[in-house]
Amino acid sequence: MNDDMSDESKSCSLPSSTEPTATRSTVPMWIFVVTLLLLFLGFAFFDKKGGWFDVRVYAPYNSSEELEAAQPKSAAAVAMAAGKKNYETYCGSCHGNDGAGKIAQAPPLSGSEWVMTKGAERLAHIPLAGLGGPIKVEGKDWNMNMAAMGAGLSDTDLAAVLTYIRGSWGNKMGEVSPDDIKKVRAEVGKAPQPYTGEKLMTMPE
Amino acid sequence: MKTQDPRAKTPDATIDASCRLPLLVLFNGAALWLVLGLALSVIASLTFHKPEIFACCPMLSYGHAQAAANDLLVYGFCVPAALGVMLWIFARLSQTELVLSPLPFIAAHLWHLGVLVGLVAILTGNTSGFAWLEFPRASAMLLGVAFVLIAISAVATFGQREERELYPSHWFLLAALLWFPWIYSTANLLLVTNWPVRGVAQSIVHWWFTNNFIFVWLALVGLGVVFYLLPKLTGQPLRSKFYALFAFWTLMFFGTWAGIPAGAPVPAWLPTLSQFASMMLVIPILAVAIVLVKTLRGAKLFCGGSTYGYIRLGGLMFLPSAVLLVAAACPQYSRVLEFTWFGAAQVQLHILGFGTIVLLGAINEIVPLIMDKPLPFKKFVPWQFFLSVVGVALFVIPLLIAGVQQGHSNFEPNAGKFWLKLSMGGLVLLLLGSLLLLTNLFLMTLKWKIALVKTVAAAVVAPLENSEVKS
Amino acid sequence: MKSGFSIFLAILLTLGGSWIGFVVAPTMQLGTAKLTTALVTGDTWPQQRTGEATLGQQIYRANGCVACHTMQLRQDGVSFEVVLTSAGKINPTAVSNLISTLTLTGLNKEAADIAADKISAVGGKTETHLTATGADISNYHAVRRSVAADYLYDAPVQLGSLRAGPDLANIGARQPVAAVHLQHLYAPSSVTAKSAMPSYKFLFEVRKQINGVASPDALNLPAEFATAAGYEVVPKPEAKQLVAYLLSLRADAPLYEAPFTPATTKP
Repeated sequence: MNDDMSDESKSCSLPSSTEPTATRSTVPMWIFVVTLLLLFLGFAFFDKKGGWFDVRVYAPYNSSEELEAAQPKSAAAVAMAAGKKNYETYCGSCHGNDGAGKIAQAPPLSGSEWVMTKGAERLAHIPLAGLGGPIKVEGKDWNMNMAAMGAGLSDTDLAAVLTYIRGSWGNKMGEVSPDDIKKVRAEVGKAPQPYTGEKLMTMPE
Repeated sequence: MKTQDPRAKTPDATIDASCRLPLLVLFNGAALWLVLGLALSVIASLTFHKPEIFACCPMLSYGHAQAAANDLLVYGFCVPAALGVMLWIFARLSQTELVLSPLPFIAAHLWHLGVLVGLVAILTGNTSGFAWLEFPRASAMLLGVAFVLIAISAVATFGQREERELYPSHWFLLAALLWFPWIYSTANLLLVTNWPVRGVAQSIVHWWFTNNFIFVWLALVGLGVVFYLLPKLTGQPLRSKFYALFAFWTLMFFGTWAGIPAGAPVPAWLPTLSQFASMMLVIPILAVAIVLVKTLRGAKLFCGGSTYGYIRLGGLMFLPSAVLLVAAACPQYSRVLEFTWFGAAQVQLHILGFGTIVLLGAINEIVPLIMDKPLPFKKFVPWQFFLSVVGVALFVIPLLIAGVQQGHSNFEPNAGKFWLKLSMGGLVLLLLGSLLLLTNLFLMTLKWKIALVKTVAAAVVAPLENSEVKS
Repeated sequence: MKSGFSIFLAILLTLGGSWIGFVVAPTMQLGTAKLTTALVTGDTWPQQRTGEATLGQQIYRANGCVACHTMQLRQDGVSFEVVLTSAGKINPTAVSNLISTLTLTGLNKEAADIAADKISAVGGKTETHLTATGADISNYHAVRRSVAADYLYDAPVQLGSLRAGPDLANIGARQPVAAVHLQHLYAPSSVTAKSAMPSYKFLFEVRKQINGVASPDALNLPAEFATAAGYEVVPKPEAKQLVAYLLSLRADAPLYEAPFTPATTKP
């Protein structure tokens, strides 16, 4: 058995003195065609599933649009989105879209003690009636005039803007309801005079 | 081919003898690590039979033994064995003696020292925590330096070739020489040495490394060796050069992008791109299949246990292994097979069924040549062949079944347990086979060393009779 | 073809492509990730681990737990549910009549939008709730898939590739009781019958009770796993750290990448 095996293995390995050679028959066309076909299918697959290199798209979502559409929209989220839009239209040009205020234009809103109040009643007076004269914001003195920018907005829209201001840029205060706005609008009347800082302080939070 | 050269051709025996010292160190160490690695695999799989078996000894617990076994198989056996075989192939193809042969001799020692350091580190818990990269920094540096030293000698030998046109194996093996230092240094610098990458970027680098090392690098080495030895052993030419090169480029181009699992917690473009690339692997698989079938068709020999048998079967094993890789990446199958034993089985088939069997065949073929002596136990070669083939089948097939059962039962905790227990039988057979190789190599080295001592002693005692001593 | 150098260059370019695509690009895209904000609550995510849990991660690494446990949850899809928050003042009866005719759960995005529009047309107010679906989600009581943000504080990140045991991405939320984890590490089959997990007894110390009174740390083991009378099993610091780490593993905050409606905000 032992000798048979070794004889057999001897018979099938040739003396290894010659180095191997290779024939030169070329690769047929069909294999290139198959390659191109697979490449096409692969690109289609990537286009469908790959999310085009978006860092936030994970399976099972296939694209950033699909992911955006799936985001949960609670009532608060809807209000925040509407508030952001109106804020950037009416307020952002002076207070800044980042809420940081602008020198010689308007004081900051982020972290401002006028915004971070328990309720929103005092804050709501400012866009509805306007504000003039010296006030102190975050330890700095300001002396500007602000028109009643919010008087033209509906109760719902203004409530959304104030909700957005009170819930953005690190501010974490509660929502403002349209009913709050309605109440304050009635208080300031049809032809309001801009408030002063002192008068504003007498308003309840 | 060689007769064209007017200069005196270097005799094959001289070329082989120039490889003797470095290859002996590489192969002996590799055989030892193979035995130890398979022994640790058996120890690890004891846990399937009796989970609390190593509750007392943390060193042999599954998490340690399994990692150590895997690393020994790859870094202990596959890489040094592949380096040794590559050196010999480069020397033979260039028809010159090995250039700078002291470099690989020193490097082989460094390599095995690095593996030893890594083994101790894993068993004592000093691992990096990344599969296939568990070795700590000191060990990784030793391995890196050793590899580069050996690669320098291999490339220098390549540069000395007389036949300027390249043989297909040249491409595969040169790419392997370049790719390993690249992926190994990238992975170690970004993952093990310190932590410059944050969060899940670590995992992406790790998947990239694992796929490029285990699948691509081993495929380059295995196919390079098969495409060299198969024509040589059958006396047939390789059919054909261009198919082999087509396989080479498509494997490099697509294979290097595979490996990121479909369910990975990373943005969708990464796994999608990887699945795309895995699907494209169909092309190199097709090309390799054509080369193997066409080349083998010319050889009408049945030699189950000869080195030809190893090379033929090992080469063919690339096909099922790569097909399983592609199948596991298909979206409809990956949902079921991902995170099951199926993936582990594919990796083991690639390492043990393809890489190890090819390298074992090459070692059994080369060692008698470089030593200029037959193996002490020639019958061990076919015995080890049958043990390895049955062992791989008995190890991998049950794992595949266990994986499918696990996936279909949605990870029911005891799914496929019977098959896991059965797979240990395959490991035991593989271990027995590797012991045969170790015995052959160690006995041969021992005899050679004794002869060497005798020669030296004879030279000292009776300098005049020096020439009569058989070396 | 005949020059080694041109081959070297071609190989370099081919391999370099994959290196740039899967090493450089993801490192630039994800390696610079910062803390994110969870949806709804606005909390920062991920939460910083305690020191004990950070040490526990190294115990997890050193013992090779990653060999058998993954830490990544997959998600197959999302399911939408339309919930009525208020029937409105205009015509509550019409709203409740309409609702009884509509399917409001298990919808896709389009169907949910259509249903919500129908209800709001008759004056009802609705919210659309989002639930992650998939085998992993139901198997491991998860609420969403794992995303890159979950692993920001991990070093090393050990996602694993094999589930010989369960997935651990959300284990801290799924099993928040430390004592159960400790008992499971000491004697897995005392918690899960026929558990395949090895015992990690070497993370515990069996010692004599002091004056016959069990210490507060001692495990409360079932009779068949208990030690001899007068002795007790106490976790070593390593075991406590490992459990602290396990409890810190959570994937339960809604994020932009993987949104869902948290149970607490559901009315």
